[in-house]
Amino acid sequence: MSVETEQSIATKRMPAGLGGLLPALTLIGLFFVVPVLALLLRSVTDPAPGLQNYTALLGDGTYMRVFFNTFLVAAVVTIVTVLVAFPVAWMLAIMPPALASVMFGIIILSMWTNLLTRTYAWMVLLQRTGVINRALMATGIIDQPLPLINNLTGVTIGMVYIMLPFMILPLVGTLRAIDPMTLRAAALCGASPFQAFRRILLPLSLPGVAAGGLMVFVMSLGYFVTPALLGGTSNMMLAEMIAQLIQSLLNWGLGSAAAFILLIVTMALYALQLRLVGARRATGGI
Amino acid sequence: MLLDYDHMGWLKTALLGFTALVAAFLLLPVVFIVLLSFGSSRWLAFPPPGWTLNWYQELFADPSWLEAALTSARIAALTAILAVLIGLLASFALVRGEFRGREILRGLLLTPMVLPVVVFAIAIYAFFLRLGLGGTTIGFVVAHTVLALPFAIIPIATALEGFDKSIEDAAIVCGASPLQAKLRITLPSIRIGIFSAAIFSFLASWDEVVVAIFMASPTLQTLPVKIWGSLRADLSPVIAAASSLLVGLTLALMIVAALLRRKFKT
Repeated sequence: MSVETEQSIATKRMPAGLGGLLPALTLIGLFFVVPVLALLLRSVTDPAPGLQNYTALLGDGTYMRVFFNTFLVAAVVTIVTVLVAFPVAWMLAIMPPALASVMFGIIILSMWTNLLTRTYAWMVLLQRTGVINRALMATGIIDQPLPLINNLTGVTIGMVYIMLPFMILPLVGTLRAIDPMTLRAAALCGASPFQAFRRILLPLSLPGVAAGGLMVFVMSLGYFVTPALLGGTSNMMLAEMIAQLIQSLLNWGLGSAAAFILLIVTMALYALQLRLVGARRATGGI
Repeated sequence: MLLDYDHMGWLKTALLGFTALVAAFLLLPVVFIVLLSFGSSRWLAFPPPGWTLNWYQELFADPSWLEAALTSARIAALTAILAVLIGLLASFALVRGEFRGREILRGLLLTPMVLPVVVFAIAIYAFFLRLGLGGTTIGFVVAHTVLALPFAIIPIATALEGFDKSIEDAAIVCGASPLQAKLRITLPSIRIGIFSAAIFSFLASWDEVVVAIFMASPTLQTLPVKIWGSLRADLSPVIAAASSLLVGLTLALMIVAALLRRKFKT
């Protein structure tokens, strides 16, 4: 009885806790919402009011190729990441803890290592005279160095490397939540391992795959550093184009219009992800 | 038997082999960069013709590297402090508050994590140009705190959700003021969330490239901006030396995090 009274007093004293949100909302409102909205406004007012920036972007073959390229790279990266991550997450979910913690350690080390450091390593590894080409030539698999950098191959390798932890870690959770008994039941009922995989394990893990894949796709769409360093000038991606429009060409109108398109696509896919997995899961559990 | 580790037969061998390959793929660039930084070839030949500490000497002989590292450390430390303080207050409100639109506010505070950084980077760049904050430490810290806030809120709110509030209420019933109860009961109980928040928001700033490229001025450069500039110029082994030190720092942070987790669990 007395506890309840005290509790309600405590709740009343802090009117629903809104005060605690004040600093965060001020920060985000003033230094996130306002600047982003001002940028979007600029896309329809710079250099003159109207939609000419958008018609210029969407009517020009060069810009359209950048959009196409961006979606292509993001799609390829997502597919490769899912295919590589799934077996690893599967093993991590059922491995003996000691072995799993070694693998988790490797994943975290790769994930926490400075982004530029990792990209620099790939730049050196993938170059014409780099270790990978030399090893492939020494073993006689190829006799000419493969063009692995300044093209989509380089971007894909570098991006998959960066995205893998973001796919593996949530998938482990999904796979751990599956009751092994369902698969034992399938085996008892005469299902072959392949049937059990296709009809039980895969469908049950699909929500995790979809959520992780969508996150990787969204992150890849707006990625700047890796495509800029590992991709060539002939296959630029959207984020790099936006940066160039603003920083080198000082074309604020076109740059902010392109940024707005990126924002809309990202937010739409994010909303889709929220509906798929619910707000809590999508943002990591809170 | 697809989820039974001990009864998977050949499939287990195949999947374990594949997992080992992925582990090698994940380790390859990290190990490679460290080996390369001790190699004597200026043209990054590998395996190197000999071993040397030249690149580390060159790195420490150039004061701009150290200066960039100190700038990064200062900005990341300030960012972590601000993000944890603001995130702590916000987490209490988000987890315990009951008001309309809570989910929307939660979503809003986490949006900087989802929005492509390049969009935020040019937005805040334009905004700070107008305010005269471009290229200043304050500008860097504010922009990085926006980006780091989700990484502070998520672990703190998660820890707070797992904390039984009736323990705090019990302290209040026993005569503690609400503030005392929070400071002496609740905060120590969620300290692992707070430490995670500090590490994550520090890293969010320390590793941040895109905003930094736009915000940097000739007199104020963070380490990623310095590396970015060097990378665009050439692939000098000095970058490998700087990178190896960063790998060392990452390892140190991982060890600290693991030790803290172990200490808090017992």
